[in-house]
Amino acid sequence: MSVIAINNLAKYFSLPKKGKGGKPGPMNGKMGPMGIIRAVDNISFEVKKGEIFGFLGPNGAGKTTTIRMMTGVLRPTKGNVSIFGHDVWKNQILVKQITGNVPEEANVYFDLTGLQNLMFIGEIYGVPKKTRLNRAESLLKKFELYEKRNLKSMRYSKGMKQRLLLCMALMSNPKILFLDEPTSGLDVQSARIIKQLIREYNEKGVTIFLTTHDMEVANELCHRIAIINHGKIISLDTPQNLKALTQEYKAIDFYFTNGADKAKIKDLSSVREVQEVSGGFHLIVEDIHEGICEIVDFIKQNHLIIKQLNTHQPKLEDAFLKIIERGDKN
Amino acid sequence: MIKINKEFILSKESRFSTFKTQLKRSFIITKKDLRIYYNKPPVLIQGIFFPIILFFAFTIGRSISPIYLISGIIAMVLFLTSTSLGPIIFPWETIRGTFERLTTCPVSIKTILIGSIWSSFIYGLLFSSIPLVLGVIFLSSGLAINYFLIIAGMILSSLVFSSFSLIISSPPIRNPGNTMILQIFIKFPLLFISPLFMPINSIATAVISPITYCLDVLNIGLGEVSAFGSFGLLIDILVLIGLGFGFLFLAFAIHQKTLEKRFR
Ligand SMILES: Nc1ncnc2c1ncn2[C@@H]1O[C@H](COP(=O)(O)OP(=O)(O)O)[C@@H](O)[C@H]1O
Ligand SMILES: [Mg+2]
Repeated sequence: MSVIAINNLAKYFSLPKKGKGGKPGPMNGKMGPMGIIRAVDNISFEVKKGEIFGFLGPNGAGKTTTIRMMTGVLRPTKGNVSIFGHDVWKNQILVKQITGNVPEEANVYFDLTGLQNLMFIGEIYGVPKKTRLNRAESLLKKFELYEKRNLKSMRYSKGMKQRLLLCMALMSNPKILFLDEPTSGLDVQSARIIKQLIREYNEKGVTIFLTTHDMEVANELCHRIAIINHGKIISLDTPQNLKALTQEYKAIDFYFTNGADKAKIKDLSSVREVQEVSGGFHLIVEDIHEGICEIVDFIKQNHLIIKQLNTHQPKLEDAFLKIIERGDKN
Repeated sequence: MIKINKEFILSKESRFSTFKTQLKRSFIITKKDLRIYYNKPPVLIQGIFFPIILFFAFTIGRSISPIYLISGIIAMVLFLTSTSLGPIIFPWETIRGTFERLTTCPVSIKTILIGSIWSSFIYGLLFSSIPLVLGVIFLSSGLAINYFLIIAGMILSSLVFSSFSLIISSPPIRNPGNTMILQIFIKFPLLFISPLFMPINSIATAVISPITYCLDVLNIGLGEVSAFGSFGLLIDILVLIGLGFGFLFLAFAIHQKTLEKRFR
């Protein structure tokens, strides 16, 4: 059952004129013919109920622009987003009412305390007064901000501000949570708390859409990941399947005390490539399991003594780079 | 209306109840603005001393008639204070990132703009009451003052100037300092073409300034006859209401367009 449907969504920006106004953002978007940036270029996908969906891509890929269209902040140039079957742009208020948001460069009100920030947001969403205070306090406790609740938030660290923003997004008990780069640039403790609570709220049934340029975050949290670059989705799959795309990164290192013949190792059926390293070999294999079995047999036959054996599982990062490279070639 | 499985079927509210909630939320935004931006010692000090200094600067050693003096200072303070903070708050919230946060809340841009009107209105009205009080204390002898008309005129004018303030706030400026330029090129010329401290008919450009109609209402309230004939008061009120809604709808349209440029 999908809760968010994105159909042929596109957003084009005209190029900012030179020497006027603020400075343009990172110019990674694909340039169109007439000074147009195709920040998001005709993408379609669905987000299922109860999943954590990750939007992964390098800077300037179009993640923020997409999330802004999904949350009713930007009007799509083409296509549409629907949430629970309602067109987001046409039913902005209705949709905003049931979603929670942490925009990328958003901030808390510096002159309000942590608690006042939450009370303000609660009031704007129409949370009844009693519920508001209770919910604010329990969120502050959960996000380890309760002690600092009466401190003006200008005195919060970056991580504390981000945690407070997440609390603000949760004040209205949203069904869907949109998080734009929720953990980027944060201290370890804040990032850990945020990741943990993203999982916790997801287990309670909140559908989560997040963007990140960090493979590890996507890998750790997401059920499915869409990889976006130059405004286009170039891959959409589970982290496991994405990782499987990088066969060549399955590798085994082994070290032994006495010498062995490189040519013989290369003859092993599962070994694709051999590199000699000091005191051993770095093998790129078809399959980790078969590779190990063959190596063990080989060692027994040649009376070698193993000092150390390591395996390398493919990393999402490798898959990501590979997919991006492949996309750039086309 | 039956609510079936709230989670999947969003209930659409009627137009009237949407209007009611949005109006309520505009007050919440006002409360926030008053708390964060207006309730600051420098802002309050300026708000109090600016009218006082203006009052004595124009009163002492000049021979302006008391009616024009009172109406002129009230109108000037109303105009300048109602348009002072709004144009700074928008760029300020834009660079801080709180503006984008607010737009993801269930409020329309119109609600945000109306929220901004209320705070400009309260601020303008509050501080323009200072010259009124000073005028009554020092200059009112011999004047037949219609307080109801004066206060009603101040309320109406403050609303009009507050919606005018939204238009000055509409360029998607990211640097609050840059709004000074707009202020100098829009606000001061408007004061210049207005018949402050003089009979309204003595300047030809008066009719195109919104401040003129505020002045005329105040003058009438202070016992003068209207500059626009026997239906003058009615004309003033209709023009002010027309301008107020005109500025408001213009501001809605422009802000809707420039909104996108605030997000980079
Ligand atoms: N308001 C805007 N005006 C013009 N160009 C923009 C605007 N917002 C984003 N862009 C451009 O669109 C592209 C995608 O940006 P963005 O969605 O912010 O990427 P990401 O979030 O993936 O880093 C970039 O090239 C950026 O410069
Ligand atoms: Mg981004």
